[in-house]
Amino acid sequence: MIRFAAIRLVEIMAMLVLMSFVIYALIGLMPGDPIDLMRSADPRMSTADAARLKALYGLDQPLLLRYMAWARQALAGDLGYSRLFAAPVWQALLPRLGNSLLLMGPSFVLAFAVALGLGTAAARRPHSRLDAAINLFCFAGVSLPTFWLALVLILVFAAGFGWLPASGIATAGSSDIADRLRHLVLPATTLILVSAASYTRYVRAAMREALAQDHIRTARAKGASEARVIMHHALRAALVPVTTILALSFGGLVSGALVTETMFAYPGMGKLIFDAVMGNDYNLALAALLLATAVTMVANLAADLAYAWLDPRVSYR
Amino acid sequence: MNVFRETQRTRRCIAPLVGLLASVAMTPVSAAEHDVLSIGITQFPATLNPSIDVMAAKSYVLGAALRPFTVYDAEWKLACLLCTELPSIGNGLAVTVDLPEGKKGIDLTYTIRPDARWADGVPVTTADVRFTYEVGRNPQSGVSNAELYRRITGIDVKDDRTFTLHVDKLTFDYAAIHDFMLLPAHIERDAFAEPAQYRLRTHYNTDPTNPGLYNGPYRVTEFVAGSHILLEPNPHWAGPPGRFRRITVRTIENTAALEANLLSGTIDMIAGELGLPLDEGLAFAKRNGEAFQIIYKPGLVYEHVDVNLAQPALADRRVREALILGLDREAISQSLFAGRQPVADSFVNPLDLGYTGEVPRYRHDPARAEALLEASGWRKGADGLRRDAQGQKLSFELMTTAGNRSRELVEQVLQSQWRGIGVDVRIKNEPARVLFGDTLPHRRFELAMYAWISSPENVPRSILHSSEIPSAANGFVGQNATGFTSTEMDRLIDALEIELDPNARKTLWAEAQRLYAVELPSLPLYFRSDVFILPKWLTGVRPTGNQSPTTLWITDWSAQP
Amino acid sequence: MKLPLILLTVIAVASFAAPLVSALLGGDPNLVDLLNRLSGPSLAHPLGTDELGRDVLLRLLAGGRVSLVIGIAAALAAAAVGTLIGLVAGYLGGWTDRVLMRGTDAVIALPLLPLLIVLAALDLTKLGLPASLIQSDEISVVRIVVLAVLVGWTTAARLVRGAALVTRNRDFVRAARSLGAGVPHILWVHILPNVLGPLIVATTLSVGDVILFESVLSFLGLGVQPPLSSWGSMLSNAQELITAAPLLAVYPGLMIFLTVMACNLLGDALQRRLDPGAAPRPFRRTLIAGKEKPPREARR
Repeated sequence: MIRFAAIRLVEIMAMLVLMSFVIYALIGLMPGDPIDLMRSADPRMSTADAARLKALYGLDQPLLLRYMAWARQALAGDLGYSRLFAAPVWQALLPRLGNSLLLMGPSFVLAFAVALGLGTAAARRPHSRLDAAINLFCFAGVSLPTFWLALVLILVFAAGFGWLPASGIATAGSSDIADRLRHLVLPATTLILVSAASYTRYVRAAMREALAQDHIRTARAKGASEARVIMHHALRAALVPVTTILALSFGGLVSGALVTETMFAYPGMGKLIFDAVMGNDYNLALAALLLATAVTMVANLAADLAYAWLDPRVSYR
Repeated sequence: MNVFRETQRTRRCIAPLVGLLASVAMTPVSAAEHDVLSIGITQFPATLNPSIDVMAAKSYVLGAALRPFTVYDAEWKLACLLCTELPSIGNGLAVTVDLPEGKKGIDLTYTIRPDARWADGVPVTTADVRFTYEVGRNPQSGVSNAELYRRITGIDVKDDRTFTLHVDKLTFDYAAIHDFMLLPAHIERDAFAEPAQYRLRTHYNTDPTNPGLYNGPYRVTEFVAGSHILLEPNPHWAGPPGRFRRITVRTIENTAALEANLLSGTIDMIAGELGLPLDEGLAFAKRNGEAFQIIYKPGLVYEHVDVNLAQPALADRRVREALILGLDREAISQSLFAGRQPVADSFVNPLDLGYTGEVPRYRHDPARAEALLEASGWRKGADGLRRDAQGQKLSFELMTTAGNRSRELVEQVLQSQWRGIGVDVRIKNEPARVLFGDTLPHRRFELAMYAWISSPENVPRSILHSSEIPSAANGFVGQNATGFTSTEMDRLIDALEIELDPNARKTLWAEAQRLYAVELPSLPLYFRSDVFILPKWLTGVRPTGNQSPTTLWITDWSAQP
Repeated sequence: MKLPLILLTVIAVASFAAPLVSALLGGDPNLVDLLNRLSGPSLAHPLGTDELGRDVLLRLLAGGRVSLVIGIAAALAAAAVGTLIGLVAGYLGGWTDRVLMRGTDAVIALPLLPLLIVLAALDLTKLGLPASLIQSDEISVVRIVVLAVLVGWTTAARLVRGAALVTRNRDFVRAARSLGAGVPHILWVHILPNVLGPLIVATTLSVGDVILFESVLSFLGLGVQPPLSSWGSMLSNAQELITAAPLLAVYPGLMIFLTVMACNLLGDALQRRLDPGAAPRPFRRTLIAGKEKPPREARR
């Protein structure tokens, strides 16, 4: 298993290097350039100015050279300067990363808790009305566009009842924890509703299957309490989809949720990546994307290792 | 029995969660005190350095925090903000100079207001002027409008407050130096130690809450990138004080969310310069208009359809005239924009000095349009579309910036109206960066709908002068994407720039507008309006319509008791 | 099983018959009528008119056609591509498998955004596509389908590979091999039928997900371009008018919801019929809550 993990880690490194070039090339392939956009906004900027600025920002160099320069810098540990934020990349990245973790972390945990509860309840009473209701909730949740849900929540709870703030991470000038929590409620709810619906299906299916197994029947026949049956036996089997969900969501912690962040004006990683790409901010976009990719791939590796541990029937060549 | 236990356990978990949620939700939303103002805009300034990067959001925020020397006020007249008196030839502060090769330059003398101070107490002096000039002249500093600094060949400093600029070109708007935004020498000097690093080290980026960076009625006290900027009064401001003890400028890019924030009280107003597009503003007003004060102000944003004159069908003037006659711009203005965006007849705004109403006007006249097309050889076929003698369809591609719903709406109306006169128009939108960065400079379009942003009496050199046509020969620079070539227009542009007599200028402007309206290198649509949505208790906000942000007069804003 | 099937059939038939309906009602989904904007339901316009005075019902049907075409085409194409890759990887094993699977991982981990933006901005003339295609209204539809396929083939690939890995060691396959059957034959005749069950389920589920994907693309401004409408673009446009004309958003939202629900229910029912032992498999729901990967089938 160690050998397997080591090989995969090497593969991940190789993949990251390849990805860095692909991403750089993709962003570079986008026609048009921020200096030209700037010109359309300023009637007084002359063409000579535009040329000078392009040279200054190094935008007139061929793509490969720019990539090599970036790669050399990055390997030396210097992630460069973000043009969009007018600050070093790590300085622009860290607060947004923190915001995203603050939003996505608890959302995921709560979504998962809800999924566990609902999925188990549904699995224990297959074909009952409860099961059907939960099933409906699942399907509804995955059939709804996120931006729609976000807008409805804002209109009802913020504009309508006025209970919660409609956007942002905090009221300006306040560093109150309660205030920050209040700002988290609506975006987190959006994410939880959508994720929980999706996760519940996994949990329900896995639990259902687990509960139908012979060893459960044996345990029940031996007189084990319902709680013990669930906790000890079925849960172990349910850990497989749980691991999958964990792996899934880990990448999301870093890559954020673009649509939710846009609707709630929540400055997180999703919006950062989008803005960096749209704004041709190579340094920032690369740093953020590579981080997200690396986290996703490492999480997948961890999930694969966990599968092997959880289910001895799975083996790796 | 088991279900019961299950639900009990779940209930035990849920109860504290609900409790937490409830306590969090019950914390009252801070009541709207009227000494605090919260403004919503749709963009966040990447940097607050006045000389680097051009962004409307930055101008808006700096309008309250940094004084420019001059400004076009609400009457579209040039006024002094940081200076004491506008130099003019009449008062002797502006002196024309004869330069070699028969050119004319001008020397301008300005005096900084004696009470001007940076927010850390240090007075604004000519040392700042000299420093700003040094930064602007240095090719490595990253300043966006280097042309301005190039035109100033030297500065003579008379004393702490008075200085003279030597400008190498005499233009009629010689006294307007609002782009010459002062940088505080005592703060920025060390950031400029290595000019190439200036834009990375400038304190506006590394330390934006430093009071010494601002000399306006307010200063920036909190700067959260991508989220909001907090402004508080400048203790060393000598003018009339700002009436709000705190102003928050919040960025919410999604306009539907912006509206919702306004309705929920998170923000008090939506700035017109960077707020809702007009059709959304109108829809909002219809639904919630009684609760707010809504001001519509047409501005200097001239929305039009550029016609690529290299396209053979479009090179024919009759076809262009037919296209504009086939449009019912009045109807568009009335139904989509409730009449708030007046139809334009040429590129000059009615509030502008040079405006003349005596230009050919094109009322909606489909009959005449069809006659013109017939006369130019485009016969209507059985399917309602026109074809020429060779059977080629009269068909064009109409482009605009993708994702802009207002424009997409208008496009579809245009398409529908043009179909009525037999012209087939296909819509092909591109992201703004592609349209402006690639398609227009390379002239790979047929019809392109977008806006020119100008300033009062802005001479349209880059847009209409024949030397500004982007081509392979000049490296695709220049904004005359239509390819308009007219010696007469070139002459008028050259003359306008140097004509000092306002009456003579008016004549020149009138001629230029008439020529434009007759030749139709682009089809005028309208001047875009800004929508200001303000709370009922706010007074003093006066949109100018000429691109000067309303925040420049923020000391006039106050809450009615 | 019956209910979703009926629902889907009704929606599909109504949408594809959109041109017929327009002709019958004497209307045109693209007809702009500036004097009649945002009007309520009436005899001439059963569901009212939108922000340009166009009939909402007709646009809904025409939009449905576009959305369904995108959904079905993308789902089928992604399934086809994925199956091919999965079969090859699973059956041949060894280095081929390793390379293909790492490639699949890379695509899953690939940042969707720059890809989408670039592809939305690509100049198609450079790719040598015929001018008539590029200039047609439908080009944006083709673009979205291509994007969805590029992003969605991984699910089918992993699925099929897993099944192929298991099936290839079964006796009847070994027998076929020893009889001298060629690889393509074995793949087509022996392996593929055993994979069909879960594959059909996954494809059905992915139709709904593609429709949602298209609505997010529209939200970002990269979706179907006017004057073509799809449910996703109608929904995005309506969010700005949410306070003025909320019903404009309800209709397309409802249609998306019903269609996706029906697809999911159908997929679920098919799964119970064809592949009772499997866990549910999702399509990629990126841009919404991070990246996704289908659960590893631990019992195969």
